[in-house]
Amino acid sequence: MVEKGQTKTFARKFVPRIIKAALLVVITYLPFYFLSAFIEPFQSFFPWYAPTTNLFAAVFMIFLVVGVFTSGTIYQYVFGVARALVTMIFFIYVLNGGIVTLAVPVEGTSVNVMVDLTVILAMLVLVCLLGIGKNVVQAIDFVSAKVEMKEL
Amino acid sequence: MRYAVRALGWATKILWILIIVFSVASVYSAMNVRMGFGQPQAFLSSGFMVISVPLFVNNTGLYDLSELNMTVSVMDYNESLLSTSTTFVPSIPRGSSIETAHNISMNLDDITSKLLDYLFNDTVFNLDMSLKLNFAHSIPFEVSTNMTMPWGAPLYNFSIGQISYNFLNLTHQEAIIPISFENHSPYFGVDGFMRVEIYNDNGELLGSSVSDLNVPSHSSYDSQVETIVDVSKVTGSGEARFYFETSAFSFGPMVMPYG
Repeated sequence: MVEKGQTKTFARKFVPRIIKAALLVVITYLPFYFLSAFIEPFQSFFPWYAPTTNLFAAVFMIFLVVGVFTSGTIYQYVFGVARALVTMIFFIYVLNGGIVTLAVPVEGTSVNVMVDLTVILAMLVLVCLLGIGKNVVQAIDFVSAKVEMKEL
Repeated sequence: MRYAVRALGWATKILWILIIVFSVASVYSAMNVRMGFGQPQAFLSSGFMVISVPLFVNNTGLYDLSELNMTVSVMDYNESLLSTSTTFVPSIPRGSSIETAHNISMNLDDITSKLLDYLFNDTVFNLDMSLKLNFAHSIPFEVSTNMTMPWGAPLYNFSIGQISYNFLNLTHQEAIIPISFENHSPYFGVDGFMRVEIYNDNGELLGSSVSDLNVPSHSSYDSQVETIVDVSKVTGSGEARFYFETSAFSFGPMVMPYG
């Protein structure tokens, strides 16, 4: 009887989280999939793109899943901060600090292309910093709410 | 605290939307910018050889292009700079197009005085080209490349044949000097005059004459120059001095021994 109740509690607690995590993983994977399909014809110019992006996607999704499973605890925000940090590092690495250079072979000669994406990188870093700030504020809110509950 | 979290959440969402919209619009705009070069044309203007490259930009994108700067540096095989030219277009607003020409000018007198080889030997020039522009006033973009441009010598393989003499009278003879060369230059013809002076072994002038030159690009010159010489001074060997006065360059003397 007790075992049955425990199983029910476990199912009630974790099944929605598993579904939520699965949904979030699918939703997060879609942009990566479409971006990869878009980049595919230019793959030879960005040989470093696929391995880096796959690694980033894997790490991002692990943090996402762990974050969902630890929701309701302080770790949810810790993993949220880690996710934002990983995203920020990924963007800085992929955009080469804002200066993207390519060497495109055209009819036997090498054409060097340089794009300065510092403005876009600054916006992306700002978004990540906002994400970190939001998680930190949420963590403080969470801890203070817990302390208040204890005091009551 | 809740309001701060909510504000941060909204700010993050708005910023993400802005980044995505700007990125997608930028890629779309960049794909709608048409840029190209026309057929280069070479012409001569007061001692300068000018290579004019037509450049057109059609901006049908969503953003303005600004500070378009095209620079071409011409260097010889020793990497010494022959010419640098820049074309600057301050702004190409969206929905508009521009047509301009990038002119690369080289002082032919400089070329002939510094590097006489160019008149007689084919060579290759190195071209460093770069095109910079500002996309949407916020994304600097640069394309650069290194190309080689073949240089055809206008007096390639200049040579004189065996000088022959025609008897005129007891004191004078007519010297006939066969001359040949090939104009390998793709850019200009050799049009003008060539003055020839014949000297004997003692450095005395035997005679001189002036010939017309009209040798188009990629064609050869094979002719002879006749001059009256003093029989008493003829030594059978000596040197011929050539002076060129053409629409493209002035050069001389070029000394060639004979006999």
